[in-house]
Amino acid sequence: MKEKLNGFHVALLIYMIELDVTVFTLPRLVASEIGTNGWLGFLGLSLLAMFNIWLYRLVYKAGQGRSVFDIAESALPKALLYPFYALLALLWLSVAAFAGKSFILIFQTLTFQTSSPMLIFAVYCLLVYALLTKDLYSIVKASTVFFLLSIWMLVLSPYFFREWSLDRFTSFFFEGTKNGHSIEGILHVYTVFIGYELCMFLFPYSDAKTKLFKGVFAGHAFITFTNLLTILISFGFFSFEEVKILEFPVIHTLEFIEMPFINRVENLVFPFFLFSNLVSSVMFAFAALSGIRRMLPKVSQKKLVPPLIAVIFMLGFLPTTFRQAAKWIDISYFTETGVAFALPLVLLMLVRLGKPSKGAS
Amino acid sequence: MADGKRMDTKTEPSGKEKPTLSLVLDELKDCVDCIHQKLGGSGADLVYFAAIVDNNALQRDLIGPLSQASPEQLAEALSGAPYSSAKDLEACISGIMNGGAAVFDGQDAYLFDIPKQVGRTIEQSETETIITGPHDGFVESLEENLGVIRKRIRSAKLKTIALEIGEISKARIVMLYVEGIVNDSFVKMLSERIGDIEIDGVADANMLVQLIDENPNSVFPQYLTTERPDAVISKLLGGRIVVILDGSPSVICAPTSFLEFFSSPDDYYQRWPIGTALRILRLIGFIITICFTAFYVSVTTFHYEMIPHAMLLNLAESRSRVPFPPLIEALLMETTIELLREAGARLPTKIGQTIGIVGGIVIGQAAVQAGFTSNILIIAVAISAIASFVIPSYIMSASLRLIRFGLIILAGVIGNLGLIMGIGLLVIHMAGVTNLGTSYLTPIAPAKFMDILDTLVRGPFWALKKRPTISRSPNPVRTKIKR
Repeated sequence: MKEKLNGFHVALLIYMIELDVTVFTLPRLVASEIGTNGWLGFLGLSLLAMFNIWLYRLVYKAGQGRSVFDIAESALPKALLYPFYALLALLWLSVAAFAGKSFILIFQTLTFQTSSPMLIFAVYCLLVYALLTKDLYSIVKASTVFFLLSIWMLVLSPYFFREWSLDRFTSFFFEGTKNGHSIEGILHVYTVFIGYELCMFLFPYSDAKTKLFKGVFAGHAFITFTNLLTILISFGFFSFEEVKILEFPVIHTLEFIEMPFINRVENLVFPFFLFSNLVSSVMFAFAALSGIRRMLPKVSQKKLVPPLIAVIFMLGFLPTTFRQAAKWIDISYFTETGVAFALPLVLLMLVRLGKPSKGAS
Repeated sequence: MADGKRMDTKTEPSGKEKPTLSLVLDELKDCVDCIHQKLGGSGADLVYFAAIVDNNALQRDLIGPLSQASPEQLAEALSGAPYSSAKDLEACISGIMNGGAAVFDGQDAYLFDIPKQVGRTIEQSETETIITGPHDGFVESLEENLGVIRKRIRSAKLKTIALEIGEISKARIVMLYVEGIVNDSFVKMLSERIGDIEIDGVADANMLVQLIDENPNSVFPQYLTTERPDAVISKLLGGRIVVILDGSPSVICAPTSFLEFFSSPDDYYQRWPIGTALRILRLIGFIITICFTAFYVSVTTFHYEMIPHAMLLNLAESRSRVPFPPLIEALLMETTIELLREAGARLPTKIGQTIGIVGGIVIGQAAVQAGFTSNILIIAVAISAIASFVIPSYIMSASLRLIRFGLIILAGVIGNLGLIMGIGLLVIHMAGVTNLGTSYLTPIAPAKFMDILDTLVRGPFWALKKRPTISRSPNPVRTKIKR
C-alpha cells in the first residue's frame, strides 16, 4: 500500500533541511549585515523566502502535481536538459558536502583539535549513505525522529532570561553594520533559509490529501521562529558589538549553560545538531540522485548512491579549515539561492510551453 | 544381476493410494513405538503410536468395544462417529502421526482421533511475570492455547485458519483473527508468507518469525511474541492477527511496531497515571540501557570537562588504578555482565542464585580492588543492565544489549559525536524496517497522535476510543464510553 506524504511530516522535513550549519553564524551575520534590531530584517527575508515557496506552489498547481522532470521534459528535449541535470546535481552534491564538512570542522575545532576532520567526515558520509539508500518515505520517517531528538534544545531558551536584556537591542534600527548594507550581505543572511526549494522533489509523492504546501509553509514558519529565537537570545544576551565579533554566537550561548550535575553542556548539546545537518545533506544528495536517475533510468538506486557519496567525500577535501569551508558554503549557497529563485520561473514557462506527457509520474 | 533378471525397483508411494494395512506398515517400518495389534472378536487390525495416543481412552472406547464386536458388527461400528474414513494413504499416515489410531477391516481404513495431551499444564510464564492480573500463560499444546483464547473471546467472530509448517515436522499452526475488525489483506499476506516457507521443521515461534519477517538481517524483533493470554486478547481486539505454533508457548502477534515492545498488559490493570508513569519509566530505561555506559566512556575519554568538580576527584582517583582506557574497561565489564547473565540462564536453579551472588558482588568488588575496573563503571554497567530488564520483551532487551556494544565502541572512538552518530544509525535503520508493510516507527512516523495515547503513555479508557491505526482495521471504533 503506497501511501502519500503527510503535510505534518513535510513540515518537519522542511524544518530539518533548513536548519543546518548556517544557524551557528546567523546572529553574527544579522548583526554585521543588517544591523541593530536586525531581527526585523530577518523577518522580511523570511517573507521573501515564503514568496519563493509560493512560486513553487504555482508550479505545483500549474503542473497538476507532476514531477518537475516531467514538466521540463514535456517542453524541452532531453538532450538539452541532461547537462543541466548534471550541473544541478553537482551543485546539490556540493551543498551537501560543504554543509556536512563545515559542521564536522566546527566539531573538530571544539573537541578533536588534533584529529583529522576527514576521518570524522568519512563517518558522516557513512550516515548519509545509510539514509540515501532508503526510499523517500524512510528518509521522511527518519527526519521525524531526528526532529524529536533535536527540538528539545528549544527548552534551553529560558536559561538565558536572567542575563538577557532588552536594552542591548538599542533603539536604533538597521545601524552599525560592518560594511554597510549590501546585496551580498543580505544574501549572506538569506542563505540560512536554503532548503525549502527541495519541496519540488516531493511533488510525485504528494496528492490532494497531503496538503504539501501547507506543510512547506508551516515548516518554513517554524524554522523562522527558531532562528528568530536564536537571534533574539543572542542580541539580548550579548551586546551588539560583541555579537558582531563572535564567530559562533549560538555555541557561545550554549557554553553559558551550567548545571549542577553536568558542566560544559555544549559538549552534549552541540552533537545533536548533527541530525539536522545530516537531513540537509541527505536531501540535497537525494535531489542530485533524482537528477542522475532521470539521466540513467536503467541503473538502480543502490548502484548510483556509492558514487554520489564518493563525490561528496571528495568534495570534503576542498575545505580544510572552517574559514575555507565558509567560503565554499558562500559560493554554493549563493548559487543555490539563485537556482531556488530561477527554477520556479523557468518551470512556470515550461509548463505553459509543454503538454502533460503520457505516463507522467 | 547374475541371472540376467532385472531387479524390481520399489517405487515410493505417492500418498494418494488407498490406505491398506501393508502400505501403512511399510511407511511406519523401523518405528519400534508403533503398535500393530490384531483385535480379537472383530478381527480388525489396529495401528497406533502408544506414545501419542491416550491409552486409557483407546482401551475404553476402541479396543474394548471392537474386541467384543463380531466381524459383521464391525462395519456398522466403523460407519459413524467417532470413526472417520481415511481417504488416502497420506491422510491415514497423517492421522496416525497426529495421535490417532487407524483401524483396518480388510477393505478400508478408519481413523479414531484420541491424541494424548503431552506437556505441562497451564501455568504462569517464566519470562513475562506481572504483579496484578491473570497469572496463566501459554503452554506447548496448541489445543490448550486455543482453549485459553476461546475462553476469553467467546465470539463466533473469532476465526481460525489452519496451516502447516515443516516438510518433516509438519507442525500445526493456527492463525486467529476477529472477523470484521481485522484487515483482510494482512490475513492474506501473513498466511501466504507462512505457506511459502520451505523448511524441515520449526522448533519455536521465535524461530518462525525470523522466517516471515521483512528485514531478516535487522537486530530488532519485528513480530511481538508473548506467552501471556491477556496480551494476545488485547491484540486480537485491537485488530491484529495472532499465530499459534504447536509445540511453542510463544504466540506471535502482527502487525507490530517498535513501541509495542515496551508496553505490558499490567499497564491496563493500574490507574492510567500509574500506567503512563510506568511506560515513561520503561522508555527512560531504554535510553539508559543503550546510552549510559557509552556516555560514561565518551565523557571519561574525550569530555572530562563535563564532569562536575565534586565528582571529578573521585573519578580520577578511581580511574588512576585502572591500566586500561575507558573503552576497553567498559567492554570488559559489559562482556563480564553478559557472561554472568548468560551463565545464570543456563545454570540449574539451585546453584544459579549462589553463582549470581558470587559473580555480582564478590567478583565485582574484587575487580575494583585488583584495579581491573573503577567502581563508578561498575555502577554504570549495573544500572544499564538493570534498565535493560525493565523492558517487558526479553527478545527486545537482548537486541538492545547488543546495540549497546556498538554505541560504546563509537563513543570510545569519537566521543559524544560518535554516540549521537550511533543513535542516528539506529534511527536510520528503524526507519527502513516494516512489518506487514506497516512502519516499525508507528505512531511517531507516520505520526498518529491518537495512537500515542496508547503507546508512549497509557491514556484513560474513555480516551482510547479507536483501535490502533497500525492494524488498519475496517472498524476503527473500539469503544463508545462517554465522559
